[in-house]
Amino acid sequence: MTDYISSYSKSGHLFIPRMFQGFPEIKEALISNQMQAGFMVAPMAIALRAQGVPVKIVYLGHRYGSAVAVRKDGPVKTFADLRGRTVAIPSRFSDERLIIFRALAANGMSAKDIRMVEMAPPDVAGALAAGAIDAFSMGEPYPSQAEMAGFGRILFHAREYWPDFISCVLVVREDVIEKKPEAVQVLVDGIARSGLWLENPPKRRARREHAADFVGRFYFRQDPRLLKWALLKPEDRVQYQPLTPLRKDFELIVKLMRETGVLDRDIAFEEYIDPRFAEGAKTQTEWVYEPGDVVAH
Amino acid sequence: MTPTRKITLAVFAWIAIITAAHLSTNVEWDVLLNDRLPESERKLNVAYIPVT
Repeated sequence: MTDYISSYSKSGHLFIPRMFQGFPEIKEALISNQMQAGFMVAPMAIALRAQGVPVKIVYLGHRYGSAVAVRKDGPVKTFADLRGRTVAIPSRFSDERLIIFRALAANGMSAKDIRMVEMAPPDVAGALAAGAIDAFSMGEPYPSQAEMAGFGRILFHAREYWPDFISCVLVVREDVIEKKPEAVQVLVDGIARSGLWLENPPKRRARREHAADFVGRFYFRQDPRLLKWALLKPEDRVQYQPLTPLRKDFELIVKLMRETGVLDRDIAFEEYIDPRFAEGAKTQTEWVYEPGDVVAH
Repeated sequence: MTPTRKITLAVFAWIAIITAAHLSTNVEWDVLLNDRLPESERKLNVAYIPVT
């Protein structure tokens, strides 16, 4: 979204967006410096840092926007019905896995009660439709895809078990932060402005419809109707404010990672977060751009 | 123009069209050009997956 709107601004494209199909590929691209920044699930970013990879989280991509979906006409009516069944997650290092652990604990169950399998996000809706899995825990628009196609339904949204749920974060290589802090700030400012633009209450619906259209066609290569579903049913299904990384949110993620065996040591907030760019973006205002405009600023 | 010459021209024209279509569709020119800029002028490559 930031790339699309900024292309209409005087400064032009602020960065070069590159689409990947899975988080592990983004991880490798960051390590090899093929990518200087990227969006990935928060636990993966924390784990990378804990393993000594020189990257830092500088901002959030969004809040909420993940859900557990099951077959509409299937036997799973409640979370407890997942006992003995297979649930797909995007990665061992994902908040979508951690939300399953929170739901297990809340329902008096343990990890032994279900089988979790890792699956690339674009594959999960098809796997659910084919009966290869019984449920998936994934970010939008894949829960919406299952709903919209008619074979899936939402068992629960992540916020039901995790009120301040976050998933994707913006990660930047440390050498880039050191050498080009102004470029990182421009990127974070642009994302902050996009978030404010999408969350402007009186214009939220029209702007989300427009964003779904151009993001679907030019970036995600998905049916814009699917993104409209994900962004509008209901309008707060995915939120783009506030995006500042907060200590309490990340310390909870680290705690859950430790408890669920995907992080072998404690790691301090300061070690994996660089808060200065989020701080710098706090004075930003939304993009001055409306659907159909040919100039943005 | 002889039939052989016509066929040869048509084949070359077809190859040129397919090559141009490939270059415009499958080559990420902005990435290629960005990678050739001096490091100080280079824009950041930002990875994303089609998830919100």
